[in-house]
Amino acid sequence: MRPENYETQRQPPSHEYELNIGPNHPGIEGNYAFKLRLHGDEVIEGRADAGYLHRGFEKLMEGRLWIQNLAITPRICVPDPVPMEISYCLAVEDLCGLEVPERAKWLRVLQAELSRLAAHLFTFGGHAATTGMYTPMFWGMADRDLILDLFEELCGGRVYHIYNIPGGVRRDMPPGFIERVSNTIDYLESRLPDYDNLMFRNRVFVKRARGVGVISQQHALDWAVTGPNLRATGLAFDVRRDDPYLVYDQLDFDIVTEDAGDAWARALVRRKELFESIKIIRQVLAKLPEIEGPIRCPIPNPLAWNVPAGSTYVRMESSKGELAWYVVSNGGEKPYRTHVRGPSQMHAVQVLEKLSVGCRIEDVAQIMFSLDACPPEVDR
Amino acid sequence: MTKGKELSTWLDKVLSELEGIEFRRKSSRRLRVDVAADALPALLELLRGRASYVHLSAISCVDWPDDGAFELVYHVWSYELQSLVSAHTRIPREPGVYISVYDIYTPAAFFERDIHEMFGVYFEGSPDMSKFILTEWDGPPPMRKDFDSEAWVNDHFDWQDYNPEWLKEIVAQGGGIAIRPDEQRFSRK
Repeated sequence: MRPENYETQRQPPSHEYELNIGPNHPGIEGNYAFKLRLHGDEVIEGRADAGYLHRGFEKLMEGRLWIQNLAITPRICVPDPVPMEISYCLAVEDLCGLEVPERAKWLRVLQAELSRLAAHLFTFGGHAATTGMYTPMFWGMADRDLILDLFEELCGGRVYHIYNIPGGVRRDMPPGFIERVSNTIDYLESRLPDYDNLMFRNRVFVKRARGVGVISQQHALDWAVTGPNLRATGLAFDVRRDDPYLVYDQLDFDIVTEDAGDAWARALVRRKELFESIKIIRQVLAKLPEIEGPIRCPIPNPLAWNVPAGSTYVRMESSKGELAWYVVSNGGEKPYRTHVRGPSQMHAVQVLEKLSVGCRIEDVAQIMFSLDACPPEVDR
Repeated sequence: MTKGKELSTWLDKVLSELEGIEFRRKSSRRLRVDVAADALPALLELLRGRASYVHLSAISCVDWPDDGAFELVYHVWSYELQSLVSAHTRIPREPGVYISVYDIYTPAAFFERDIHEMFGVYFEGSPDMSKFILTEWDGPPPMRKDFDSEAWVNDHFDWQDYNPEWLKEIVAQGGGIAIRPDEQRFSRK
C-alpha cells in the first residue's frame, strides 16, 4: 500500500486494530485495496482505496481521434469488455446520426451476450473461490475459455476484441461460425446442472453465502445499485428491457429476480442469467441467417472525421450493471470530453464500505466478489 | 403505463411553467433540461420527490475554459416513467465552488469526490472531498483543458534515450524503429 495509507489512527482504542487487504487479493478481479478497522474478527469500518489501475483513459481519449479511441474503450473493463466498445460506438453513432444496418445490430447482440456469459462464469467461479471452493473457479475459467476461442475466431482477439466500429462491425462471421457457437452453447447448457450440484446444492457454499452482505431494495435504490445486484433485491429492472438499445426489444428473455438481497441471491441471479443469455444467443443464431445486407454503414474518412457538435448519454446493461457513456463533441476530430459511468463505481466504493460494516473478516472477500466489482471501471 | 403518462405530462407542464428552465425532449426516453446553478438542487428535489426520478445515474463535468465555466450534468433516471433527465448547469470556473446534492442523492458523494479530484470543483456539503484515485498527485487537476499532459511530463521527467545493444545491431544492419515517436501523425497532441 502507498505510504499515506499506512497512517494509523492517532489514538486507536486498545481493542481495535487495522488490516489492509490488497491491492492484490482474492476478493476482486483486479488491483484494489480495502482498509479495515477491526474488533476481533468483526469489521468496524471499511475504506476503499482505488487508483492502482488508473490509466487516465478519459484524458487520453481527448487527445486521440474518434476511431483511435476504439482501442482504449474495451480496456476499461477487462472481464466484460464488449459493452464498453458497443456503448462508445452507440454514442458516436447517436452524435453523427448514423443508421446502423440490421445485421450489425444482431451481431452486436451476439457478441454482447457471449461476453456476458464469459463474465458471469468468471464471477461466480471467483465467488465460490472466496468461500474456499476452487473447483467452480477452475471449471468457470475453463468453460469461459471456450467462449474466448469463439471471440478469437470472430475477430482475432481473445480478451479485447475491438470488433465494433461506429456504424457497424468490422467483419462478418466466418463460415460455419453459427454452428460452432451453437455447439458451445449446447455444451455450456449441459454444464449448468453440474454447477448447480457443485455450488448451489453445496452446504458449505449455502451456509457461507446466505445472509451475508444483505442489501434491502430501498437501500439498493438509495445507493444506485444496478444490474444483477439490484435484481437480487427483487426489483425487475434491466436496461435491455426498460431502456432498450440494439434489437433487445425484439428478443424474448426473462428478467431474473431474487428477493433475499444477500450474496447467495446475487450468485443465484447470475447463475439464472447464464440461462437467459443462452436463450438470447439461440434466438440470435436462428435469426442471423435470415438477415442479409451490409454489416456497417458508410462512414467518413476516419482519419479526418469531424463528429457534429453535441452531447449524448448512452446506457447499456453490462454483466455488472448499468454502464453509461457521456460523450461531448465540439465538432472536432477528437472527442471534447468522454465520461464513463461504470456500475462498479457505486458497488466497489459506497456500497462495499457500507456492507462491510458489522460483517466478519472472512466474509469481506466474498461480499466484494458477490458485488462483482471491477476495479478498472472505478479507476478508468 | 397510463399513470406514467399522466406523470410525464404533468412533469412537462410543471417544467414549462417554471422560470429559468429550458427543457427539450430529445426522444421519448431522453429529456434535456438547462437550468441556472442556483435552481438545480430545487429541480432535483422536485424530480426525485414528486416525479419518481430516484436513480442518480451519473454526474458529468465538462470544462469550457473559453466560456470560463464548468458544465455539470446530472443524469437521473425514473424506474416508473422509464425516462432519463439530463440536467445541465454551468458554474463559473473561478472559484469553482458548488453545492453538494448528497442530501438528495446519496450516490452523488462518489461523483462529487471524483470531479473534485479531476477538475478541482469543490462541492460544499459533500461528505468526503479527500483524494481517491490520485493519492500521490500534487499537480493541478488533470482533467482540466488547460492541463497539458505532455508539457507536464517534459517538465517533471527526463527523457531517456532508448538505444539498447540489440537495437544498435539492427540499426547497423540498416533496420531500426519504423516510425520515430515524433514523426507519428496521430498519437501526439
